[in-house]
Amino acid sequence: MRQTTAYFLAQLKRAARLLPGQIFVEAVVCVCAGVLAFLLIAQGADAAAGKRYRIGMVGDLSDSYLGFGIVAVQEMDDSRFMIELVPMSEQEAESAFRRGELYAVMRVPEGLLESIVYGENDKYVTYTAAQGQQGLGTMVMGEITDLASTLVTCSQSAIYAMQRVLADAGRGEEIGRETDKLNLSLIQMVLDRGEFGEVEVLGYGDGLSLELYYFCNMILLFLLLAGLLNSALFVHGNNAFPCFLKARGVGAFWQVLGEYLAYLLLVLAGLFVLCPVLCFGLGRELPGIPEWSGMGAAPFLAFLPCLIPVAVMFAAMQFFLFEAAEGIVNGILLQLICGIGMGYLSGYFYPSAFFPETMRAFGEALPSGAAARLVQAGVLGKIPAASWAAVFGWLAVFLTLTVAVRRWRIGKR
Amino acid sequence: MQIEVTGIRKAYSRKRVLTDISFSMESGSCTAILGSNGSGKSTLLSILAGVRRGDGGSFLYQGTDLLRHPRLIPQVLGYVPQGEPLMEELNAWDNLRMWYDRETLERELAEGALKLLGIGDFLKTPVRKMSGGMKKRLSIGCAVVSHPGILVLDEPSAALDPVCKENIRSYLDIYRKDGGIVLMATHDAQDLELCNACYILREGTLHPYPYDGDFHRLAKELREGI
Repeated sequence: MRQTTAYFLAQLKRAARLLPGQIFVEAVVCVCAGVLAFLLIAQGADAAAGKRYRIGMVGDLSDSYLGFGIVAVQEMDDSRFMIELVPMSEQEAESAFRRGELYAVMRVPEGLLESIVYGENDKYVTYTAAQGQQGLGTMVMGEITDLASTLVTCSQSAIYAMQRVLADAGRGEEIGRETDKLNLSLIQMVLDRGEFGEVEVLGYGDGLSLELYYFCNMILLFLLLAGLLNSALFVHGNNAFPCFLKARGVGAFWQVLGEYLAYLLLVLAGLFVLCPVLCFGLGRELPGIPEWSGMGAAPFLAFLPCLIPVAVMFAAMQFFLFEAAEGIVNGILLQLICGIGMGYLSGYFYPSAFFPETMRAFGEALPSGAAARLVQAGVLGKIPAASWAAVFGWLAVFLTLTVAVRRWRIGKR
Repeated sequence: MQIEVTGIRKAYSRKRVLTDISFSMESGSCTAILGSNGSGKSTLLSILAGVRRGDGGSFLYQGTDLLRHPRLIPQVLGYVPQGEPLMEELNAWDNLRMWYDRETLERELAEGALKLLGIGDFLKTPVRKMSGGMKKRLSIGCAVVSHPGILVLDEPSAALDPVCKENIRSYLDIYRKDGGIVLMATHDAQDLELCNACYILREGTLHPYPYDGDFHRLAKELREGI
């Protein structure tokens, strides 16, 4: 036991020598990430404020009704702040489209208005978008197009019905005036469509605001990849040292425990030295997190203890990966691949709700998923027993595997 | 005081590496195990040092089978594996402190085995800045912490310059003359001069070899078989 303690203290001494370097690298990473996040947010806000989608209008735009519609949309409709309709020729549209100056091109076929007026409904406006990613946007666009087609077709049917009723009633002189009134009502209805309903975007991911969700996950990702910063601790020149320790009576279990505890203390020291400093450095409050707004640094400091069990488990995982890999370069690569892969599957980069059910369940079962659930539950105030069990279950698995690998290394030829 | 090794066996999967290895050594003796690479020398020494488990056999020391009581091994046997069992980031003092308490360490540096090994000269040097000879001497210094009666060394002279080899050999000679038992695996002709018994390990079996100083004949024997 004395030798096990001595070995742990020696490992601690090694770790302490690495701590200043680790904190320096962490500080550099955090400052870079902070500056990047600030620039992205600032740039995103500017772009969102000033961005208008330019849509090229080509084809038969000669009809006065269509011209009036375009002017109405550009001058009177709410969409004028977001969408700019630009009449142009086919060639101009094509070259502008290729240069990325147009978001989309809308092609109006010849005789569209006549077709609508005569109720034929056999001509189609073609909308070609540059960004063809299938998503909510394209689905909504499809719905709006269907709605507009139905609206136009039905309104024309209504106009024809009204004209026939007036003609049958012998009021033919009123047909023109009433048709204009009906058309204006239709236009008014389209322009006032904003009154129909309201779309509210809550921006929630797994019960947290997106800001807090990503904040939690960025810290988790940082912990997940912390092994890369501490790789120097895992440099084993050869197998002689574990064999020597075994010959001196320090078996694989005690070797692993001594090394793991020293590494864990290094990780926790990095986390707990840096995070509160950063927190207070950012004006005593982390900006942009609705749940913590106006509450000072207290929620962040209360959140830190949730990270301890996660750091304990991630440290065991990183230790296992380094133990399993042959050589330091392989160890670093394995850390990187596993960290990024597990982070992605467990929703560190996108809310996991975006993933299919099977993938989501798989991501949640991973160590990174167990960690995310525990931290998110911790932020909400109550950690269920299942989350604790998952995290500590993974901890036991990783430590057991590490001991097994160490035993195998000592015994291998 | 003597050791008696009887019937040591070891197989990796289906490959037999050691088959019924038996030999004995007296107090104050030095024995060399020779053999080509992969013949099982390191495996044999690591089994005797308690690092690996053999598939059978006994290792009697003062009437106790150490393979049945592996907890006793660190007290009676010092093992120096191939490579350096040292922490590269720490200096010699910190590495020794893992095994020695402060009082004993200071005493050993002043008048004991560590003085004989000359470790006091590079006590504050980080291991990564040490020469191969310094590392080897420090490794031996770590291994003899419990004043063991048996010292097992796996290729102690490998990749060392002649001066370092001579330093280590001098220490081993003193250790042997003080009644210690030295067992080493080696490829070095000069190491053999220290030994009063020599065995060749071939195809899992130990063959006594009467070394007469003719290293070329020994090399030929190793190449072509006995």
